[in-house]
Amino acid sequence: MKLHPKNRIILFIMALLLFVTFLTCLFRQPDAYSMTERRKLAQFPKFSVNSFLSGEFMKEFETYTLDQFPLRDSFRTLKAMTSFYIFHQADCNGIYLAKGYASQLEYPLNEEMLLNASDKFSDIYETYLKDTDAKLYFSIVPDKNYFLAAPNGYLSMDYDYLISTMRDAVPYMEYIDLLPYLSIEDYYKTDTHWRQECILDVAEALLLAMNPMNQSISNMDNSNDSNVTNSIVNAQSPVSPVISQEYTVNTLATPFYGVYYGHSALPLSADTLYYLTSDAMSQYIVTSYSSGKPIRKPLYDMEKAYGKDAYEMFLSGSEALLTIENPNAATTKELVVFRDSFASSLAPLLASDYAKITLIDIRYMQSSAINQFVSFKDQDVLFLYSTLLLNNSTSLR
Amino acid sequence: MSCQFRRIEVIFLLFSSIPFLYYFLPVVLLLYYLAPYKLKNTVILISSLAFYAFGEPRFVLIMILNILLGYIFGILIEAFHQRKWDKLFLGLSLCTSLGMLGYFKYADFFILNFNRLTGLGIPLLRIALPVGISFYTFQLLSYTIDVYRGRVKAQKNFILLATYIASFPQLIAGPIVRYADIEPQLTKRVYSIDKLALGIRRFVLGLSKKVLLANSLGELCEIFKASKDLSILFFWLYAVSFTLHIYFDFSGYSDMAIGLGKMLGFDFPENFNYPYISSSITQFWRRWHISLGSWFRDYLYIPLGGNRVSSSKWLFNIFLVWFATGLWHGASWNFILWGLLYGLLLVIEKQGLYRLLERSKIGSHIYVMLFVTLGFVLFNAADLKEAATDLGAMFGLKGYPLFSAEFWYYLRSYSVTLIISALAATPLFSKLVASLNNRKYGALLTKIAEPVLLVALLLVNTAYLVDGSFNPFLYFRF
Repeated sequence: MKLHPKNRIILFIMALLLFVTFLTCLFRQPDAYSMTERRKLAQFPKFSVNSFLSGEFMKEFETYTLDQFPLRDSFRTLKAMTSFYIFHQADCNGIYLAKGYASQLEYPLNEEMLLNASDKFSDIYETYLKDTDAKLYFSIVPDKNYFLAAPNGYLSMDYDYLISTMRDAVPYMEYIDLLPYLSIEDYYKTDTHWRQECILDVAEALLLAMNPMNQSISNMDNSNDSNVTNSIVNAQSPVSPVISQEYTVNTLATPFYGVYYGHSALPLSADTLYYLTSDAMSQYIVTSYSSGKPIRKPLYDMEKAYGKDAYEMFLSGSEALLTIENPNAATTKELVVFRDSFASSLAPLLASDYAKITLIDIRYMQSSAINQFVSFKDQDVLFLYSTLLLNNSTSLR
Repeated sequence: MSCQFRRIEVIFLLFSSIPFLYYFLPVVLLLYYLAPYKLKNTVILISSLAFYAFGEPRFVLIMILNILLGYIFGILIEAFHQRKWDKLFLGLSLCTSLGMLGYFKYADFFILNFNRLTGLGIPLLRIALPVGISFYTFQLLSYTIDVYRGRVKAQKNFILLATYIASFPQLIAGPIVRYADIEPQLTKRVYSIDKLALGIRRFVLGLSKKVLLANSLGELCEIFKASKDLSILFFWLYAVSFTLHIYFDFSGYSDMAIGLGKMLGFDFPENFNYPYISSSITQFWRRWHISLGSWFRDYLYIPLGGNRVSSSKWLFNIFLVWFATGLWHGASWNFILWGLLYGLLLVIEKQGLYRLLERSKIGSHIYVMLFVTLGFVLFNAADLKEAATDLGAMFGLKGYPLFSAEFWYYLRSYSVTLIISALAATPLFSKLVASLNNRKYGALLTKIAEPVLLVALLLVNTAYLVDGSFNPFLYFRF
């Protein structure tokens, strides 16, 4: 048989690839954590006769080999790019790109989840709020798919149906519509969340509806949005007709890679994370009760800003129960917010007009334990949840 | 879910997995090529047992017991050939091999149907099925039957017989290799750089068929199964996707097996030959799972008399063979019906349809693909009720709308995959390469491009595996 040089090349390259990878897999120090995927990576499984015979050892070993594969992130990127640009798949692992934004398909609408959420809210209402003078409000934060999915040909939930279903399910609350104040530009390109510097008008709309200062505001329209954006771009202090303070726009020194950056594994451009500060804000007292004891926290946690998820800088990220006290508030009015992570960047903007805001995240605490920390009297109570959470409400406890 | 029965979570060393590609394979190849010639089969056997034990260590003993019985009966059949006791030992060999297969694979099916018929409530045994038992049982049967027929000599060396049965390239999902074909290679194999390179090329192409096409199409099938936005066209999209999925899944695995065989110096028989270009069902079964079709032909159909019997006996033979073919695929009525459907189509073709089909190339392809596609919908259904629902829905009998949002979305999302798959299911790409090789600069181009393409494919496949993408395999349970 004639020996083809091509075959020698194939053999040499493949053998090199196989054996070098094998040796690298064998001798490389395993990573503990994936920054891009934001999760702990599997470690070499413990061997026992039982785990071997049950197949558990092999199962865990396979997970280990996947998690600890050399250049894992680069391979994930190669996969995502092949899916998107060679096979032209509309989404890769549920993540799609449209108008420069990465988003995750949120589809289909899950009525059971909506019912679960509204039942949970009703339980809280019946248990804590029904016989009080608290004023109850409900608002829904649309996720990015609301703006991106349908217009760009991606599967989209029926958001009108979702909102009307939820509104009808909680008739004891006044609904505050945030949709007119939001557009896709108000969200990070690589993350789920909205941008704090773009939601002053959302804060205004909420304050206007809840009206803690008992102010009569007039001449407020949606055109504020563009003013706010411009002021950010120019790094000037936007002045709100409702929020009676001026903000300084601060830029986080490091690029912000949101959750979809890691999930998509695509080489996306980073976002810039801005956060708003003011003289009044510097006086706010933030206290976390998540551990059961009061612990002072910063309004903006700069350690977390440079950690694995910069968005967690807002009120220190996941906290079961947290209060923001404004010692200089012109009112004694209090606000209780039942919330998900979208409220973390919004709440500091609401605090200007309240003496105290209590943020409760019932994903991290049992709703039956709320009365250990909060007594409901005549506060404003806002249920502020994103469509993502409502459509996946199993985490509500 | 249709595949729950077959996709009970079992961990085993898939060829298309990181542990196999980057741990098992380099070690085995290194040991194999470093081992002296007389120890090479031992290396294969030990590595094959380790391969099998990776997921189901307890079933290694079952396999060894099967091999041991085959080994003993093979020797006894040969030893007692003159004294006419060979038939007894062949019978015992068939009983033990088929008995074990029957116990592990069909016991619950028979109990279930017996309960239905009698109204009794005999509890199911719920026995786990040893991976690859259908494949290695058929290999063992071919060995003892061929010893009985005097076509091969009984293997006195247990390691050689065990290497034939258990060698990891074909252990889990075939091809069903005949002992007669492999026997000379067990003791004398040809090794060369060209053969190794050929094996690598075949393996990488098979891996690509499995990982890049089959898994992606399988994902689409899973999406369909989970969808609540069904429509008539979505059912058709699913049917087409599954038809392509199962082809690339199984033929990709067969390519990998053949490629691995070549890397170890073996020449395994081909298992697929572009079945979707067939112009009749008769031709389709000469191109689809060739090793199984020829096994049933040589060890069941022909011993029954084949077509050299009366018409009624011939009909019986045909339907028995296709009943057995269906049942071999799984202990479920939809598999049996799937087999019988092909039996019926083959009978109709032999009664005259075959001549009609020869008149229209396009018409015959449409006919074949229509029945193959409908057949695979039946094949992939969890039960007959689901099969009836799926097939009815495809023809608008279940009240679904013509199309739905999800249909359009997934059609768009998977259109490139579907087009590439449809083209790759034909000899188009191999003809293109052959045509290029016949030209001066074309041949040069393929020489340069081939190593680059193979490396690129291996890296992309690795990327898909590292990402932990959807990676089931249908045929390992059969």
